[in-house]
Amino acid sequence: MKRIEPPRLVTRLLQAALPPTPRSAAILGDLHEEFLTRAARSPLRARLFYVRDAMGVALRYLGQRRKRGRRPKRLDAGGQTTWEGVVEGWVRNVRYAIRRLAKAPVFTLTAIGSLGLGIGANTAIFSLVNAVIIREQPFEDPETLVDVYVASEGFSHGTLSYPDYLDVIEGTPDVFTQVGGSQLTLIQLDVDVGVEVIPAEAVTGNYFSLLGVKPALGRLLTDEDHVAPGAHPVVVLSHSYFTSRFAGDPGVVGTELRLAGRPYTVIGVAPEGYRGTLRGIEPSAFVPIMMYDELQGSTSGLLEARGRQSFFGKARLAPGATLAQAEATVDRISVTLREEHPENWTQSKALVLVPTADVIMNPMLDRVIVPAAGMLMGVVALVLLIACANLASFLLARAADRRKEIAVRLAMGATRKTLIGQLLTETVMLSGLGGLVGVVLATKSLDALVAADLPLPLPITLDLSLDNTVLAFSVLLTLGAGVLFGLAPALQSTNPDLAPTLRDETAGGGRGKRARLRSFLVVGQVAVSVVLLVGAGLFLRSLDASRLIDPGFGDAPTGILQINLPTDRYPTEEGRVYIASLTERIGQIQGVSAVGFIDNLHLNPLSTQHVRVVGAGVEPPPGEDFHRVDYGVIDEGFLDAAGVPVVSGRGFNTSDVEDGEPAVLISEEFARRFFPTGDALGRTIVINDVETQVVGITGDHKVRHLGEETRPFVYRFHRQTYTRFVTILARTGRDADRVALEMLTAARELDPEIMVVESKTMERHLASMLIARELGAMVVTSFALLALLLASIGLYGVVSYAVSRRAKEVGIRLSLGADTGSVIRMLTGNGMKLVAVGGVVGLLVAAGLSQLLSRLLYGVPPLDPATFLTVPVVLGVIALAAAWIPARRVTRIDPVGALRAE
Amino acid sequence: MGRQGYVGEFEQMLLLAALRLGGEAYGVRLMEELEGRIGRRVSRGSVYVTLDRMETKGWIASEISQSSPHRGGRPRRIVRVTAEGMAELRKSRLALMTLWDGLEEALDAG
Repeated sequence: MKRIEPPRLVTRLLQAALPPTPRSAAILGDLHEEFLTRAARSPLRARLFYVRDAMGVALRYLGQRRKRGRRPKRLDAGGQTTWEGVVEGWVRNVRYAIRRLAKAPVFTLTAIGSLGLGIGANTAIFSLVNAVIIREQPFEDPETLVDVYVASEGFSHGTLSYPDYLDVIEGTPDVFTQVGGSQLTLIQLDVDVGVEVIPAEAVTGNYFSLLGVKPALGRLLTDEDHVAPGAHPVVVLSHSYFTSRFAGDPGVVGTELRLAGRPYTVIGVAPEGYRGTLRGIEPSAFVPIMMYDELQGSTSGLLEARGRQSFFGKARLAPGATLAQAEATVDRISVTLREEHPENWTQSKALVLVPTADVIMNPMLDRVIVPAAGMLMGVVALVLLIACANLASFLLARAADRRKEIAVRLAMGATRKTLIGQLLTETVMLSGLGGLVGVVLATKSLDALVAADLPLPLPITLDLSLDNTVLAFSVLLTLGAGVLFGLAPALQSTNPDLAPTLRDETAGGGRGKRARLRSFLVVGQVAVSVVLLVGAGLFLRSLDASRLIDPGFGDAPTGILQINLPTDRYPTEEGRVYIASLTERIGQIQGVSAVGFIDNLHLNPLSTQHVRVVGAGVEPPPGEDFHRVDYGVIDEGFLDAAGVPVVSGRGFNTSDVEDGEPAVLISEEFARRFFPTGDALGRTIVINDVETQVVGITGDHKVRHLGEETRPFVYRFHRQTYTRFVTILARTGRDADRVALEMLTAARELDPEIMVVESKTMERHLASMLIARELGAMVVTSFALLALLLASIGLYGVVSYAVSRRAKEVGIRLSLGADTGSVIRMLTGNGMKLVAVGGVVGLLVAAGLSQLLSRLLYGVPPLDPATFLTVPVVLGVIALAAAWIPARRVTRIDPVGALRAE
Repeated sequence: MGRQGYVGEFEQMLLLAALRLGGEAYGVRLMEELEGRIGRRVSRGSVYVTLDRMETKGWIASEISQSSPHRGGRPRRIVRVTAEGMAELRKSRLALMTLWDGLEEALDAG
């Protein structure tokens, strides 16, 4: 039989409340015995019993202690100065608050629910902001670390090439003690069945010592692992990969893993919490950059080519050296590089230093991340404000009901301090419970977010766990909400000048002011809701507009398979043979109508791949000798498979051979820009210094982003330009998911060790372009609806309170012959007046604020008429319901009874 | 204690229940006995606090028994009504009976 034990925490609390005597042990024994008897019938009821009775006994004993402790100074009015006295006073307040809250369960649950939603929204968004922006990277002395970037046209903070990095080391011994860095990559790991592709960071030997990262197990990579290309088959595991794949077994250190078909010794595990240099993109392993080619299975040229700009550089300032000195030094290096390598180092290029502590992901991305985070925090802060306004409004209403009680107690000599303490305890308990609900809601929704299979353009992993920062934030919010919004009603209702209240509380007197304050709160809530609804409307409309963008390709369900061919096993000809047999197999999959491949599929926001185009009579940009144009390498079938039309001329075919005349296809935009006279077809242009003939013109399509202006594009042929990066498209009528899966099977059957980067559908590929907008619209919309809900609750509360307070007046009206319909209309109308005022204020504020959103919107003006017209309608309908439902309750008022109560 | 007076209602109920239970009077059984006979839930905290108070007054004596596993390894506190307690009960009963004497009709009429 399963052993059932009473809740341990409750037992502990009770033990703490009881004196440490055998009698107390007997009390615990009694409870245990009864718990077991009850648990045999219903464990849940037994637990409830245990909590209730144990807490009852604990409170009773605490009360006893208080009495004994207080007796000698019963006449001392402020007799709670001792520590024990304070605790006892507090315990009494808590008991009192529990009793009061339990007496009004609807109020209590609504308040806790409102606050829970508000605090939950804030905690969830703050967790995101914390993970993305606030949480510090575990670097040693981060203030002396700097990031090294290369500025070039269109990229203010791009990455270096490895040779650039070597030049930076050589030129900066005076200002930097160390310069290191890494290259993000995917590596292939043999597992029990087949292979797994994991994200990894290929790092320099000084990487870990530069950052001051210490191993959790074994050792990390050092300069000895950075001597000669191909000579260091060692690997360091990230802590999370060590935990997830190797179950945290320390025995894995010293064993061998097969990476890209070669054994690598696991030398150590990185510390927990170290998630690589690029925030959000977490590597599973760290490998020596000297092993890059071996791991890629190709001669990538990474360590030699200036054109391969993908290296993230970091440096440590020498003691005494300033950032300005370092900047002057790298400026000199930039000059030298421009002189010595004009091919890659054009005049617009320069090395740029940014203190690592100032960088979140990358200065270019930060310009989007920081305002987006600020906007989200602002939105959830408004939601919390509405929730708190509800709390304050409820408390004001309750304070009105308690005026008589409080006045009596004040008259009988209770101090104002004591009463405020009691009232505040009640509010803080409410907000505390609300905070608890909020943290649970936040955790659940973030778990769902992490578990959701989002079509992200990058493999982003964020640690969204609640750390101390997040919890401190939530606790602060909770206490702040409780104290701030509880204090005003508490101060007001304990104002000693309450003599009129004692005389007649229904005479009206001070009620007007409080009612006005509540009305004001509702107006504010409605206004804030309108602002959020307008924001949500604009985002939804912007999303709609983005969905209508025609990407110019991918118009049919299509399976996509992205693979990399290792050049050691697949030199040029073997690679072509493999691709040919794979595309042939894929073409035989049932339902596939066209197959083709490209090296870099359109809508890759990270793509910087371009060719140098010279000639055609159009001047290159200032300071440059050529135009940069995006390109793709394709086979004969790609255009058909992708649905890109050939507008004139022809597509590639078998007549375009390796040593034949170089041929390209250009997009219509390319033709418009470089051949304004319209005679592009058949002309020759110089591409990467080679005379090339334009054999065809294709339709335009989006290249990097959906929102971009039409970019010129060049297609090159894979028989003339070999590529080992292969993204195969298989166009089909329906069920692209099945086709994608069968493509993957076909590739693995042909070569079980082939490196698969991604398998997906066109639908998912295009969706990944919209994901940021979709998430943004979804989040803002749900918060706006939440705000509307909370504001409706506030309105409902005000109207239903008005109904109960005006029972007498309504009774008179009804007994004088007014029909209930007109009374309902009057009460509803009073509520709707508040909504109208709030709505107008909200629309005006929204009109002002929407200008700030214009940069985040696509295809929608900030003063979009559809949004600004729909929002008041939605608000009106919801608010009407929230005001009408409680107003209808006047029908239950018995006119005679209401009058008799006088 | 020094105070002259009568046994309180709850005290009386507890003392009577303890007498009925004989040597088996400890928390769980006392509450069962009370609830079973008067059909009302009693506050557990009040039971213990009242027992403590009566022990201080000398009306009951208690004995901590061996611990047992079905009580989470904790002991029982078995209470016994002392001679002093019995005297208080008698005094209280006598006072009540004197006051009730001759009022049976009034009770039926109500």
